[in-house]
Amino acid sequence: MSAHPHPRAIGGRMFDPLMKTLLAIFGVSALFMAYRFTAGIGAVSNMTDGFTWGIWEPINVVVFTGIGAGAFGVGLLCYLLNEGRYHPIVRPAVLVGAICYTLGASSIVVALGRYWNALLLPVVPHWWNLASALLEVAICVMAYVAVLWVEVLPSVLDGAAASSSPRWSAFGRSWGPRLARAMPFIIALAILLPTMHQSSLGGLMLIAGPKVHPLWHTALLPALFLISCLSMGYGAVVVLVTLLRYAWSARHDQKLLAGMSKVNAGLLIFYVALRLADVAWHGKLRYLGWNFVTFVFFLELALFLAPAFMFLSPGVQRNRGKLFGAALLSVLAGALYRADTYMTVYRPAGWSSTGEAIPSAWQYFPSLGETVVTVGMAALGVAIFLFVSRKFPVVVVDATRERSTLGGGRIRAAQSR
Amino acid sequence: MSISRRDLLKGAVVAGAATAVAGAAEAREAVEPSPDAVGMLYDSTLCIGCRACVTRCKEVNGLPHDRGDGEYQQPVDLNGSTKNIIKEFKDGEKRALMKQQCMHCVDPSCVSVCMMGALHKEGYAKRHLEGERKGSGIVLWDKYACTGCRYCQIACPFNVPKFEWASAFPSIVKCELCRHRRDERRSDVYGLANPGCCEACPRQAVVYGERAALLSEARRRIAAEPERYQAHVYGEKEGGGTQVLYLAPAGVTFANLGLPDLPDGSSAQFSESVSHAPYLHGVTPIALYAAMAGAIWWNHRKDADRHGKEDE
Repeated sequence: MSAHPHPRAIGGRMFDPLMKTLLAIFGVSALFMAYRFTAGIGAVSNMTDGFTWGIWEPINVVVFTGIGAGAFGVGLLCYLLNEGRYHPIVRPAVLVGAICYTLGASSIVVALGRYWNALLLPVVPHWWNLASALLEVAICVMAYVAVLWVEVLPSVLDGAAASSSPRWSAFGRSWGPRLARAMPFIIALAILLPTMHQSSLGGLMLIAGPKVHPLWHTALLPALFLISCLSMGYGAVVVLVTLLRYAWSARHDQKLLAGMSKVNAGLLIFYVALRLADVAWHGKLRYLGWNFVTFVFFLELALFLAPAFMFLSPGVQRNRGKLFGAALLSVLAGALYRADTYMTVYRPAGWSSTGEAIPSAWQYFPSLGETVVTVGMAALGVAIFLFVSRKFPVVVVDATRERSTLGGGRIRAAQSR
Repeated sequence: MSISRRDLLKGAVVAGAATAVAGAAEAREAVEPSPDAVGMLYDSTLCIGCRACVTRCKEVNGLPHDRGDGEYQQPVDLNGSTKNIIKEFKDGEKRALMKQQCMHCVDPSCVSVCMMGALHKEGYAKRHLEGERKGSGIVLWDKYACTGCRYCQIACPFNVPKFEWASAFPSIVKCELCRHRRDERRSDVYGLANPGCCEACPRQAVVYGERAALLSEARRRIAAEPERYQAHVYGEKEGGGTQVLYLAPAGVTFANLGLPDLPDGSSAQFSESVSHAPYLHGVTPIALYAAMAGAIWWNHRKDADRHGKEDE
C-alpha cells in the first residue's frame, strides 16, 4: 500500500437525468452555434463594432480558464513545493483544468470571424507577430490544453491497466510507468505555461488604455490577472471537492482544503493590497466618488476580502459548508474582476479625464444566443467531467462510505489495489 | 504549511515587483514616422459637409450603399461597408464637421496586436506580399492572415476597424488610403496611393500628400489665420502620431470632433514594454522551466525512494 490513496472510477449509470439535462442544454447551444456559422456572428449575438468581444471572450475564455487554473495552483503546491498531501485532489483539479481550457479554446473558434485562418496559427511560426499579447495567449493556451490532457492520461492509463481486456490492460501497464518518468518535465510545463498566459490575459487589455477605466487600467494588469487566476483556481478546487463529496462521497479532507485556503487568503489579501497601492500611488483615488464605477470597484475589493477573512477564521476552517461558501466567493471575486476589466468598465469611446464614460452610440447587453452558447459550453464541461470520472479513476473515494447519493449506483472500484 | 505559504507569497511579491520595475526599465523604443510616410490633412473649417468623399469612397472601394427600406440612406458611422464618413458636431452656436477614416497611425495599436500580421504597415507584413513597398506607412489588411479575432477593434483608440457582422465569411473593413488606386508609373506620392476622398473633395478640405509636407502646411495655416483655427495639429503627437492630420476651427476642441484625448506615447509602446519586460528576451521562461523541471524531478525521485521503501 503506497502513501497516496488511490482514485477510483465512479461507475454508475452514465445517462442519468443530470447528464441528460446537461447534454440537452449543450444541444440547444449547438443549434445557436450552427446558426452562427451560417449566418454570421451578428445573427446570434448583440456584439457590435464597439463591444466586439461580447461575453464569449471575457467569460468563455478569461473566466473559464480562471476556474480551470485550479490545476495550475494545486500543481504548484503539490509538485513544486512538494506538499505531497495535496495529491488526492490533483487529478480532479487537472481534469477540471483540461475541460475548462478545452472549452475556452473551442469557444474561441466560435467567436473568431475567420476561424479557418486560425488553423494556420500553429503551423506558420514565421508569420507570428511576437508583439501581440493575444498571439502569446493563443499559442500558450493551445500548448497548455495538450499538456493538461497529457496530465489526465495517467488516470486513463490506470483505468486501462485495471481493465478486463488483456490488450488494453497491457497497454496501460506498459505506458503508465513510461509516462510517469516523463511527468516532471510535463508538470514543469504545466506550471510555466499558465504563468505566462494567465498574466497575458491581463496584458491583453494594456493596449486598450483609453477604453478601460483608469481604476482598472494599470501596468500591473498581468500581475493582477496572475494572482486572480490562482485565487479562482484554489477556490474552484474547494468547491469541486465539496460537491464531489456530496455527489459521490469523495474523499474530503477538511484540514487539507483549509490549509490550501489559507494560501488563498494570502493571495486574496495580496491582490487587494497591490490593487489599492497601485491606485493610490498613481493618484487615481480621485476617480472614486458617488458613482457606478466606484460601486463596482468596492464590490470587487469586498468580494476579494470577504473570503480572505473567512479562510483565516478557525470557525470557517472547521466547517465544510462555510469553507465551501468562502471558496465560492473567491471564485466569484476573480470572475467579477475579470469580467469587469473586459466588459463592465470597458467603453469604446473611452473615459474622460474626470472618469466619466464618453458617450457613444454603442450599447451592449448579451443576447439570448450568446448567453445560451456560454451556458451550453459550461454544461458540456460538467458533462465531460461526469463522463471521465465515471469511466476512469480520477476521484479519490472514502472506503468507509460506499454509497453514492447521486445516480444511485454503487461505487465500482476500478482498482483492486 | 507555513513554509509553503510564505514561499508562495514571496514568489508573488517578486513577480509583481519584477513586472512593475522591469516595465519601466526595459521599454520598447518609440516609433518615428517614416520620412516617406504619406497621409491626409483634413481641415474642418473648409469642409461643407457635402459628403462627396463618402460617395466616392464607396464607389472606388466597391462598397455597397447603406440601404434601409430599399431607399438610399446615409450611414451614421463607419461600418462593414463604410470606410469613410462625415459627421457633424453641434452645440448651440458651435458647429463643426468631422471626417473619419483610418488614421494610419505611426505606431498602430492594431498592428501591434495582430496575431499573424494581417494588419501591417505596407512592406512589413509577416508573410511575403508581392508588390508592397516599405516606407509609405499605410496600414493594410491581409485577408489570408486574419483570424477575425477582432482584437484590432479593442486596441484601436479611434474605433476604426469594422467587422462584417452579418457574414458567415466576414472581413475586417477599413480605409487603406486607396493604395489600390496608385499609379505605378509615377514616382511621387501618387505612385504609392491615391485616395478617392481627396480627389472628390470640391473644397480641398481633405488633401493627400507626404505626412511631413502636410504637417508644415497645417502649421502654416494656423500661423496665417490664428483666429480661424484651434492652435494645434491633431495627429502630430497624439498616440505616437498619426499619418492623417486634423485642423479644428477655433472654439471647437478635438474631443468635440470625437477624437480621443491621447497621450503623446503610443499605446503599443506602453503595452509591448510592459508585457515583454518580464520575459527578458525569452531568458525568463527558459530559466524558469529548467529550474522548475529540476525541482519537480528531484521531489519526484525523493518521493519514489520513500515509497519504494514503504512498499518493501
